[in-house]
Amino acid sequence: MEIKKTQTKAFSNLIVSALLIVFEIWAWIQSNAIKTAKSATVQPATFPRIMIIGMGVFTAILFIQSIIKLIGMKAGDPLAQKAESMNVFKDRGTLAALFVIALCALYVYLFKNVGYVVVSFFLCAIIMWLIGLRSPAKLLSISILVPLGMWFVFYKFLTVNIPMGILQPLRDLVDKI
Amino acid sequence: MDWNLLFSSYANVFLDPTTLLMTLLGAAGGVLLGAIPGMTATMGVALLIPFSFGMDLIPSIGLLLGIYCGGMYGGSISAILIHAPGTPSAAATLLDGYPMAQKGEAGRALSVAMFSSFCGGVIGALIMTFLSPLVAKVAMKFTSAEMLMLAVFGLSVIISISGKSIAKGLISAFFGMLLCTIGLDPTYSKQRFTFGVTSLKGGLSFIPVLIGLFAVAEVIAGVERIIAGRESAQAKSKEKITRVLPDIHTIKMIFSNILSGGIIGTFIGAIPGAGGDIAVFVSYAFNKGISKHPEKWGTGIPNGVASTESANNGCSGGAMIPLLSLGVPGDSVTAILLGAFIMKGIQPGPMMYVSELPTVYKVFAALMLANLAMLLVGCAGVRIFAKIVSLEKRMLYPIILIVSLLGAFSINKNVFDIGVCVFFGVIGWLMNKYEFPLSPILLALILGPMCEQNFVRFMDLNQGNFGEIIHYPIAIGFFVVAVGVVIFSLINQKKINEREAANAAGFVQE
Repeated sequence: MEIKKTQTKAFSNLIVSALLIVFEIWAWIQSNAIKTAKSATVQPATFPRIMIIGMGVFTAILFIQSIIKLIGMKAGDPLAQKAESMNVFKDRGTLAALFVIALCALYVYLFKNVGYVVVSFFLCAIIMWLIGLRSPAKLLSISILVPLGMWFVFYKFLTVNIPMGILQPLRDLVDKI
Repeated sequence: MDWNLLFSSYANVFLDPTTLLMTLLGAAGGVLLGAIPGMTATMGVALLIPFSFGMDLIPSIGLLLGIYCGGMYGGSISAILIHAPGTPSAAATLLDGYPMAQKGEAGRALSVAMFSSFCGGVIGALIMTFLSPLVAKVAMKFTSAEMLMLAVFGLSVIISISGKSIAKGLISAFFGMLLCTIGLDPTYSKQRFTFGVTSLKGGLSFIPVLIGLFAVAEVIAGVERIIAGRESAQAKSKEKITRVLPDIHTIKMIFSNILSGGIIGTFIGAIPGAGGDIAVFVSYAFNKGISKHPEKWGTGIPNGVASTESANNGCSGGAMIPLLSLGVPGDSVTAILLGAFIMKGIQPGPMMYVSELPTVYKVFAALMLANLAMLLVGCAGVRIFAKIVSLEKRMLYPIILIVSLLGAFSINKNVFDIGVCVFFGVIGWLMNKYEFPLSPILLALILGPMCEQNFVRFMDLNQGNFGEIIHYPIAIGFFVVAVGVVIFSLINQKKINEREAANAAGFVQE
């Protein structure tokens, strides 16, 4: 099956480099907000700007390389292969990845108030169910025991105080024992 | 050198049951801590130092060195098994270690890492014993010019770890260097790219970024592959560990990598401020550069693991050199060790070689013992560690995720770091998807602050005239070597791309 030029790695490189150029322009504008230091030989904004310029030069190279490849594309060229898709309507894998990212974002949001053990239980159980683990015994035992075990090791042996949220009484109980 | 005193010190240390036990316990604790993403050897030593308060000097130093050496090796376990380097200095181990595990050679990768760590540690300890005053003298002459060029030399390695596209590798590197500038600038404390977020003032924490880029990104990509049907959720390694140490054939194959890695690690470790995290990449690039088959590096070969792990543990000996001979710690762990010495009433420095020579020799022996203890613990644990990858992917991925996120939190006990970890997980996933290499970001994050601080310091000292650098011969030496590495890596990469293109063309014709 012939691959359309817009589905090739060369085209995806073109799009990515265009997005990177936008990012670099944005970063340059942000660097203007960095305050200057009086009588400084090297201003605080100098080093980040050198990095933005460096990034910009190689992004431009990638952009030009991609255009050249797209114009004279040959079969067998590694960049003529099909690129990874980001189409959530056609690719269930990407949709699942975005779902995991959303779960992680929710995890960060709830971590402090709900507590590590409870949010980890839900995160672990949902992802296991998502990727095909249907045994309730395995699903529940792993989702409960791993976060509890990790909390215990970090709290008791490594003295890392992890938010327990609604399970705070459990920590009080461990402290008493 | 007083050979009689040296041998009697070795005998005293190796035959003292308390020192033996403490060193073994330290090594076991260090391996376990190092294997947990987010827990570094520095944290391990800092956490366990209170236990050494009541002990005599040598058992307590044995305990701390055991943790140090164990932690350095332990970091490679999670790098190989779950793509999450336990410590920053194990970051380069995953370049070949993880692909080996994916090919069903996790046990072999672990045994190579363990054996190389041991050999690298022994090389470091031997060099420390014989060359410590000399090496320390050279390293201590380094000014901001030499440190700047050392950072540039470290960065020259980027091309050889960039993979197929050098442009993408360099974009990643500059992006990593840009990330280093987030927070207060190191000289004038002006805010840069903080967007009013208080947690960003201190800059991005390295470990959460590291865990995000590698472990979280791997979990997201793994779920994507399983749902898209490109990977089986029930997939698990059925590898049986038949031996805990590498076979003779493998040892012969990796011998030169171990030797060069150990030497590189020791010398870089001896430079204050430059530790295992830099040494591993330099060693990897050096060994890849001299390899007959550089195209195989990064695909899962024992040479890659050996070159990084030997350099990693070689640093432990190297970092002790300035500590003992000048009283200046070579890295964060030796800074804590310096505190332990002072607590026991001993002031490391040139006078220690005059007034406390028996103690100096006992410390040499304790480092050798710590490496031996690490080997014993590693041998005992290889089978257990390898069992981790025998878990089904549908159980392994969620476990990796919750362990990694907790690791990110544990560094500063800050929920913001979990957010950073997830954010960089997404960045890492996207970069992998569009074939941008991740390792250059890592190297840039390590070397960026060193590069900027010394650049600013050098320019301030020389009234903004960069041309003054020609008056620093060691710095020029580093620069010349860096240029050589870049040219050599470019030629090497061209050869690799040509070979791969030829292979691909052959495949198409078939």
